[in-house]
Amino acid sequence: IPRATRLRAGSLSTHRRSHSVDNPPRPLMRLKSIEEGKPPSLHSRRSSVMSITNAPFTSRRNSVSMAMGGRRLSIGPWMHSGRVSFSGLPLFQPIRETQYENTYKTRPDEGCKFNACRAQQALESTLTSYLGDAKYNPVTSGQLAQSLSELIRSRLKDLTPPRYKLVCNVFLGQQGQQSLQVASRCLWDPENDSVASATFVNASLFAVATVHGLYFE
Amino acid sequence: MDEFQSGEETSFVVEEVSNIMKEAIESAIGGNAYQHSKVNQWTTSVVEQTLSQLTKLGKPFKYIVTCVIMQKNGAGLHTASSCFWDNTSDGNCTVRWENKTMYCIVSAFGLAI
Repeated sequence: IPRATRLRAGSLSTHRRSHSVDNPPRPLMRLKSIEEGKPPSLHSRRSSVMSITNAPFTSRRNSVSMAMGGRRLSIGPWMHSGRVSFSGLPLFQPIRETQYENTYKTRPDEGCKFNACRAQQALESTLTSYLGDAKYNPVTSGQLAQSLSELIRSRLKDLTPPRYKLVCNVFLGQQGQQSLQVASRCLWDPENDSVASATFVNASLFAVATVHGLYFE
Repeated sequence: MDEFQSGEETSFVVEEVSNIMKEAIESAIGGNAYQHSKVNQWTTSVVEQTLSQLTKLGKPFKYIVTCVIMQKNGAGLHTASSCFWDNTSDGNCTVRWENKTMYCIVSAFGLAI
């Protein structure tokens, strides 16, 4: 009966096929059984999931199957396709996006905050290495600013802890006799979010780079 | 988090934000000529005004507002930005403004929480 509802829900044909013709999806089921050490067949798979409680991965799936047992009649196709492939990826419904549940995590872990000092050092080194001898050129400097901004973003991404969103700005201009002021203000969480900036000047151009790191709840 | 989306508009509305920024620029530096002593004050007031108006919208966003004021002297200026965010919910908006003596570029980034 649960199988019938699963079929209705959407990870359909493959389940049906798996029962009547064992061969094609067998690799998948075998992968699952390698993990659990049980022969691949629908009925025994379910019982093996129920019985194993120690390994964390299978216990997670255990809770999934329990939830499914409880909500047998509800249509949650993404969970069903999670059952099809052991890794939880919706293999047979490639169009469907994974739904992430709320993690209820409102602040980063201890020691995992956006490090403004390191970010500033990274910015300074990137600017000097990339722009060391560059000359201002009205045609190419636009591209230069864009690629510099992307380079900074990728460098900073390696440095920032997870769950942080980054906004990188680069201001690149010709060194003339003019003055320039850059100001920025943010509405953020002062405990978790931060900003870093660096300036680079040579004979023909100047560059200002700023990076804001915001924690994503 | 899902409850937010069912109610009011909770995405970054570029037009609304752009209007807010234009008003802030006009009121802060509207008819003025470039003055080095006042630039600091101008950038601060543009940014603060924009940010307070954005906060009044009451949306679940974190905002970053950046303002660049440059004297017009024949030099060129390029700005670029790249962001690591969620494309579906986050957005940005940039307004360029100028008068006879200076350029002003204001950018606002909104990141959903």
